[in-house]
Amino acid sequence: MAKTGLLEVHDLSVGYGGEPVCAPVTVSVQAGTALGVIGPNGAGKSTVLQTVVGLLPALAGTVQLEGRDVDEREAGFRRAVATVLDDDAFFPSLTGAEHLLLTARGHGVTDAEQAVAEEIEEFGLTERAHALPSALSSGQRRRLALAAAFVRPARLLVLDEPERRLDAQMRRRLAARIAEDVADGLTVVFASHDPEFLSTVARRVLVVDDDECTVVSPKVAVAALHEG
Amino acid sequence: MNADPALELSGAGVRRYTRRATATRADTSWLTLGGDVLSALTTAAVVVAVFGGAFASLRERIAARPATGSTVLPGELTALAAAVLVTAAVVALLSRLGPVSATPATAAWWLPLPAGRRGLLRGELGKTGLVGVVAAVTVALPVVLAAPQVPSVPEVAVTVAGAGLLALAVVGGLVVLQASGRTGWVAPVTGGLATAVVVVPAVGGTLVDAWDWVPAAPDVPLPLLLGVPAVLAVAALLAADRVTGRLPAGALRERGAAVFVASASALSLDTRELGRALGTPVHPPRRQRRWSWVRQPWQAVVAADLAVLARSPWRWGQLAIGAALPVLAARTSGLGEVPALVAVAVVLGWGLAAVALGEPSRRAHGSPAADRALPLGSRELVRARTVVPLVGLVLLCGVSAGAVGLGWEWVVLGMVTAPAWAGAAVRGGYRPELDWSGPVLSSPVGAVPTGVGATLVRGPDLGVLGTVPLVVALLLGEVPQLLLAIALAVSAGLCAISVETAQRRKD
Repeated sequence: MAKTGLLEVHDLSVGYGGEPVCAPVTVSVQAGTALGVIGPNGAGKSTVLQTVVGLLPALAGTVQLEGRDVDEREAGFRRAVATVLDDDAFFPSLTGAEHLLLTARGHGVTDAEQAVAEEIEEFGLTERAHALPSALSSGQRRRLALAAAFVRPARLLVLDEPERRLDAQMRRRLAARIAEDVADGLTVVFASHDPEFLSTVARRVLVVDDDECTVVSPKVAVAALHEG
Repeated sequence: MNADPALELSGAGVRRYTRRATATRADTSWLTLGGDVLSALTTAAVVVAVFGGAFASLRERIAARPATGSTVLPGELTALAAAVLVTAAVVALLSRLGPVSATPATAAWWLPLPAGRRGLLRGELGKTGLVGVVAAVTVALPVVLAAPQVPSVPEVAVTVAGAGLLALAVVGGLVVLQASGRTGWVAPVTGGLATAVVVVPAVGGTLVDAWDWVPAAPDVPLPLLLGVPAVLAVAALLAADRVTGRLPAGALRERGAAVFVASASALSLDTRELGRALGTPVHPPRRQRRWSWVRQPWQAVVAADLAVLARSPWRWGQLAIGAALPVLAARTSGLGEVPALVAVAVVLGWGLAAVALGEPSRRAHGSPAADRALPLGSRELVRARTVVPLVGLVLLCGVSAGAVGLGWEWVVLGMVTAPAWAGAAVRGGYRPELDWSGPVLSSPVGAVPTGVGATLVRGPDLGVLGTVPLVVALLLGEVPQLLLAIALAVSAGLCAISVETAQRRKD
């Protein structure tokens, strides 16, 4: 009998106004593994991720987390799932550190200030931790948003192109960090265009397309990315 | 990493944390805030006093004029129609914007927290209720002050308080609908209602000789008059508070983005972008058009403009209201006897119609890529874009003016005035953006660029000028032949100026 995954996606059709943007998706993601998602621009990768975490309604099919239909309105779901999608929005009067502290305290982290200090260092924001978002560069704001996903506990981490707006060194550090967390039991689903990031983190890769969505090995996916 | 659900911040705790962190950097003291509130209340009181005085003076002037046979609608009915029209517009707007929404920052940092959404959104619900109350008071106050009979202070107070309470009930009801994902019908229904309350009395007042029904406040004791709206408001708000926890984050984020764009547009005085942010979506076509009659590039522009308007049902309601508004004023006892008031209704109604028919120009100005693909020069393109507003307004103004003056000469006068408004539609659509990089002026609403007034009225300005011959006819009570010739010359000239000076975006 096949082992049931932490995340089970079955015949999931995603899109807007009743119109699907890609072929239906069926995939099972085991706990402690990472699934990459690739596809050309506009293929529907972000739409798939947003539907998986319940931010968009599914046109058809099901998404289950730990055997239960996803419903982001449930506090339990929000405790279990951390996301970094396309948000680049911040409270203008809160510093970067205050944003992270809000997230940590909101999730009941026992030593919130310590956790925040660690992630600030991990993401290279020590010098800018007490700056307002308007004083941060685009890349620093991206690092802040990513840090928020690690400053709280989660069983599933969903990232949309995490490498975007990061320098090469930060990309490598982030990929290594995620791979380490996956080895410790975290489950990750992420969309990416970066072959190096993909091969470091992903164990399997979902290829999103109009005709068919298939799951392939990272090697095949990286070759596909190199071919463009 | 260790976490304890017992240590998680509640919704109120999250709001408090954010508020306190924000307050540490705020450069506004409680004293400044109190001064601002006092200043706003004083301004509101002065506005009420000025309006009250103006309406009292107007009431005396109207009473001094002899009644004409063509005004059959009671003033109370038109006042009620105006109140329903504005209320319907506010309700449609609230349903478009949520009514409860989450700012982009709130959606990104609050909604993913395990804190109860009900507690997180309670402040937002309060703000939405306040907006509803302010809108209701703004609608109710002029209506009650302009009532045909002089209202007493208690009557004014009860009307305004009742309107505020009913607004809270409506907001609460809308939130309940939002939580169940059933607000889709609200905008079409309120739009239909707004159209009906203007068109039906205008048509009825033109076709019948006497109108019997006069709306009046229900003859019930004061506690009941305020008690029922109060009970409704409390019940609706309690129900709304219970369901906010079921509002999905995706919808809150989407509505919040619309509020964000609309607020930014309002603050930067960009009325065109504000219209885009608040506008209803264009309906997808039921069938693909073939446009087999299109042979020339200018015909492609006309075909595209017709498609834009045909797929925007909201515009059809605007056109119907625009045509009926002057007729409603002309048929209303009190208003119809004062040519200046009918002229104001003509400008408002035809201006609304010009805005509706200027939609393709506004879209083309915002996204000029499609126009660039056509082998047309800038001027030829704007000329082609004038065809649909011209044809539409010739028909609309002819019918509207004919019903105002009740004669064929008035139909002709309306038709010859239409080109000025057609030019206004295109001129308004291609209006340049405000230049915020230049010098600014200090104003009660903050810094504004110099020339803001001239830019904002660009379009309607020439429409109003073109309506002057019609105003003269209203004052004379007839349409001399010479006036028709003058109106045609003025209107055609203004249309030519509008079309030739309409600016297309350079980038």
